[in-house]
Amino acid sequence: MAVTRRQFLVLGAGAMAGLTGCGSRSSLGGADQLSMWTWTGSVNDALIGEAEKAIPGGNGKQLSMTRIGGDYKTKVLTALAGKSMVPDIIGINDDVATYFPNADQFHDLHALGADKFKGDFLEWKWKLGITPENRMMAYPMDTGPTALFYRRDVFDKAGLPTEPQDVAAAAPDWDSYIQLGKKLKQAVPGSAITDNITSVYLYALAQLPQRYMTADGRYIGDGEHIRKAWELAIRVVKEGLSANAQEGSTDANAVVTNGRLVAFIGAVWWAQLGPKNAAPKTKGLWRVTPSPGGPGNRGGSFLAITKYCKDPEAAFAFISWLESSKNQAQSFLDPVLFPSTPASYTDPRLAAPDPFFGGQRIVDVFAESAKKYPGAYFSPYDSIINDPLKAELVNVEIGSKTSDQAWKDAQHQIDRELTRAGAI
Amino acid sequence: MAVSDAVRSTAAVTTTKDPGPDRPPSKFRQALPQYAAVSPFFILFAIFGAFPVFFSIWLSFHSWDGIGTMKWVGLEQYSYLLTDPTFWKSITNTLIIWVISTVPMLLLALVIANSLHNATRFRSFYRIAYFIPNITSVVAVTMVFGSIFSNNFGLLNAFLQSIGLDKIEWLSQPWGIKIAIASIVAWRWTGYNAIIFLAGLQAISSDIYEAAKMDGASPSQTFWRITVPLLRPVILFTAVTSTIGGLQIFTESQVLFGSSGAIGGPGDGGLTIVSYLYDNAFGSNQFGYGAAIGWALFILIVLFSIINWRLIGGNDDERITKRAARRVQRKIAAEQVAADKAGKEHADAH
Repeated sequence: MAVTRRQFLVLGAGAMAGLTGCGSRSSLGGADQLSMWTWTGSVNDALIGEAEKAIPGGNGKQLSMTRIGGDYKTKVLTALAGKSMVPDIIGINDDVATYFPNADQFHDLHALGADKFKGDFLEWKWKLGITPENRMMAYPMDTGPTALFYRRDVFDKAGLPTEPQDVAAAAPDWDSYIQLGKKLKQAVPGSAITDNITSVYLYALAQLPQRYMTADGRYIGDGEHIRKAWELAIRVVKEGLSANAQEGSTDANAVVTNGRLVAFIGAVWWAQLGPKNAAPKTKGLWRVTPSPGGPGNRGGSFLAITKYCKDPEAAFAFISWLESSKNQAQSFLDPVLFPSTPASYTDPRLAAPDPFFGGQRIVDVFAESAKKYPGAYFSPYDSIINDPLKAELVNVEIGSKTSDQAWKDAQHQIDRELTRAGAI
Repeated sequence: MAVSDAVRSTAAVTTTKDPGPDRPPSKFRQALPQYAAVSPFFILFAIFGAFPVFFSIWLSFHSWDGIGTMKWVGLEQYSYLLTDPTFWKSITNTLIIWVISTVPMLLLALVIANSLHNATRFRSFYRIAYFIPNITSVVAVTMVFGSIFSNNFGLLNAFLQSIGLDKIEWLSQPWGIKIAIASIVAWRWTGYNAIIFLAGLQAISSDIYEAAKMDGASPSQTFWRITVPLLRPVILFTAVTSTIGGLQIFTESQVLFGSSGAIGGPGDGGLTIVSYLYDNAFGSNQFGYGAAIGWALFILIVLFSIINWRLIGGNDDERITKRAARRVQRKIAAEQVAADKAGKEHADAH
């Protein structure tokens, strides 16, 4: 009897030690689990279900995933600030660079052997997760290549070219695209080629090889390239080609539903968010063609392994498995994440014709855009630079400021914010 | 004897050391179980109430992105705040929204309360009907109002066009945005305030009204000369709560414009103080600046509550007597100082 009691005590002490050991690592979830946080609709459920049983190549670890509803980033930052119960793996959106100043909170994926997968990915996408100090903080998930969406029936009515290659030939750049928009508007009054002013600006920006800062930290957001995108956005509005439906409003959906928005340069995810969700009755009427002004990218996310992770090797095994070209192809079918691995583009599951787009193989168009996009450097301060510019553009659209005044105000505000952030 | 035995035995249970027969247990030890019983509130309040309050003061003197190290910047956040045009805009926006929602709301509530007070049939039904907006989810209400006011396909614009007027881009114009937000606030809180007024009305003795009737007072005279003055404390209550609520408007702009990236909407027309705070702290991770905005808001609320109190609250006569009393006190104090001075000089002379 005495022996069994001693055995029991030893067992109990062992369990306690195990628990405290786990606690000192400060990551969320049980000892044999890797916890992961992402937002809703960011991963393929079947693949996650597989990893929840056992992570392939993951030392017998299981995945425990939580889908975070609203305010995802706030919750992640709160967990990181708390320094305990931090998830092992987190999803990061296209604002990945805002985490760069705190890159020491994450494992350097170079050290975990990420480089052997480098060749599988789009080069520009791979670079976005690497800090200027060459620390690989985030691993690529999906991308957001851009293209021109248009309503074939409306183009037909306006006497314009209707087939994708003809439309692309008729509108190779923004100038010819605006001319085309004017013809559309004449033939079908009320037609618009953008929902609002910021869309034009952001998609023009998404085509540029440089954005607001250089990799060595110089501010270039007051440069010619930004001013051109700015003026372009204002021109589209002045020509009366904007539907004036502000981003995120109920109107933004309504202009698609009611058929005012007949052409739109958008990222691949807009296919779902825009026409498929807001205007299911237009099935078969939409087409996609290479975007005027060249290929671009807007959006796309990443995965990172926090420094609190219980088993970085297993976590890396999981993310490299989840983002393999085969599994990214599956993630395209549901929930429509566009792969960052070119090998996926020829996967028969992606290459299938899309009946919503009249049987067009739209993936081909976006794959071209993704492969040809030059890539650009995103700085940690891009969002604080972007916000004043967007807000001032809206001021121009609603007519409360002139273009020059709004530009001056935006630059002044950016200067203040960057000085405070210690960026310049 | 029996009572003190009972106390001692409780003390013995909660403390391990026997205090001994000679020394009676200290007062604190005697009361320990009672302290223990009330402690949960204080412990929870200390963690979730007091600590964040004091931490946010500390935080407002730092620059902190939430993850990295906190950097001491002294009063820099506050000096940035005072020279930040967007912050001042958020204050004027909030005040405008507050005025155009609160004033019509309280007037309407008073009228509704008066008619509810005089209603004879379906009284409970009306009261519930007027209260329901208040318990409806503000997010849902805002989304409905968002579609009513929407620029292109809104109900309100459809109505305007049907009676031959031009449509107005409510949610693109700073003024339209303010009107939309104010009407959401008013819709939600009019019924609530009416119920509060109703309670106040019911507390007024009917004798006074009967006396007024005997003296031949008209209904409007009765309302302005009797009802309103006697309702004063209730009006003060609704005014103060509306001020506190009005200065903290947030959800409406967040739901209407949060997903657009610019939390204040076009031209920052719907940017309120709290939405600016939220955007800085949780949108741009400027937690130190967010804390500074929070304290500026606190000062503002205190100021406005004092103004309200002065305008509506208190009895005039009472205030005059108080002021007179203070004057007398000041006089006495001045005399005291003079006397001390004289005494000191007297001592120095020696």
